[in-house]
Amino acid sequence: MLKEDFVIFSNIRRILIRTSIDYSKLDFGSIRGVVYLRGVFQLPRHLAGEDQEKVKEISEKTLFSLEKKLRNIPGVSDVLFQFENWRKERGQWVPIEKKRKAEEMKEEEDEEKTRSDL
Amino acid sequence: MRRKPDQIYRKILGEIEKALESHPNYADLHHQLGLLFIAQGDRRKAESHFIKALRINPNYQEATFNLGCLYLEMGRGTEAEKIFLAELKKSPKGGHLHHLLGMVYLKRGRKREALSQMRKAIQCCPYYVDFYKKNGFWKEGRLDPGVKAEEFLKRFPQNYHSAQLHHFVGIYLAQKGRPTQAVQELKKAAKWNPDQFLFHANLGAVYYFQGSYSKAIQEYQKALKINPLYGMGYAHLSYLYGLIGQTRKALWNMKKAVSLNPNYADLHYNLSLLYSDRKQYEKAISELKKALHINPQYILARVNLGVLYEEQKKYPLAKKEYKKVLQINPDDEHVRKRLERIS
Repeated sequence: MLKEDFVIFSNIRRILIRTSIDYSKLDFGSIRGVVYLRGVFQLPRHLAGEDQEKVKEISEKTLFSLEKKLRNIPGVSDVLFQFENWRKERGQWVPIEKKRKAEEMKEEEDEEKTRSDL
Repeated sequence: MRRKPDQIYRKILGEIEKALESHPNYADLHHQLGLLFIAQGDRRKAESHFIKALRINPNYQEATFNLGCLYLEMGRGTEAEKIFLAELKKSPKGGHLHHLLGMVYLKRGRKREALSQMRKAIQCCPYYVDFYKKNGFWKEGRLDPGVKAEEFLKRFPQNYHSAQLHHFVGIYLAQKGRPTQAVQELKKAAKWNPDQFLFHANLGAVYYFQGSYSKAIQEYQKALKINPLYGMGYAHLSYLYGLIGQTRKALWNMKKAVSLNPNYADLHYNLSLLYSDRKQYEKAISELKKALHINPQYILARVNLGVLYEEQKKYPLAKKEYKKVLQINPDDEHVRKRLERIS
């Protein structure tokens, strides 16, 4: 099986461009067939003004499709995502910022509950 | 230049005017509107938008070039001369500026001054020798505008604007995910002004997006023939050769890209991959070290360096790199496993 990292790298780059992902804040590479993607995942700028829920939905779909395409590159043995703003948990893509906010809100709610209990 | 307002241009004009309502201080938007109004034959509005673009960003060279050429087209040669001379004070080594000024002087019948500017254009950018030869400005080994040059001059400001307009529209359509139309526009730009390396480079980029790799390679090669110092052009060629599995050519082009842009960590990283694939590990390590010297936080380069050390059984060095990676990113399980394996 093809395992030339530069060939894999060129394919990753092509996929990112064709998927219209804004990869200006992404680092990517291939290390002995293991693909790395790090940094901030962003959709193209022209979607920036769209409704938040719609952007989330498109992001999830794009991430699923991106992972599938990356795994299909000949020679790729694994794909590691290390995004600052998205994480894959139990097979689902979750926006990290929102998750943090949700956790913070839950913590606040718990604190409120504790106070009222007292 | 075509004066019939085209449907696409009108649509884009509407979109840009709308964008300008939210961002009235974006010089780019004013510049783009200037080009679109020229296409519609409204030179006054075009002039007004170029001036606004330059008020917002006085160093906006493209807007200066377009405004100067618009003045020339409107028969306001003195203003064209003034604007190019002012710009030349800021960029005395601007080959394109000397060339434009040369065209202004020729249009105004000041041949001696024109030839002086054209000679300076050649000094700054030797490519202009070929350009002047091709367009009838060269005879018996020296600058000597002939009949063909007169034809060029007649069409000069209009052709210049047409090329700029098609180039802008091409990029706009490509960014909107319409590569087929983008290619048509960029081809027109390159036809109107085949000597702008950027037109060919951008056409190459859109072909690349479309998956037409041999056409993309051809356009990047044209761009590099015009401007051999366009370092990223070599990098793009390298990626293209990588895609089609021609890694020897990819290596040659990446080396050129690195030599022209020695401070780009990414290019050193890419070159290291090519060396590593060819089992030239010492060279690969050297390139990774250069990448890390430029950007010590470049995790991928550090992981790669660790892997190369590990493969050469230089375990203490590999461990050192893996530990540095885990300091920056403790969640990296791939690196943690590698570290455990050699500890």
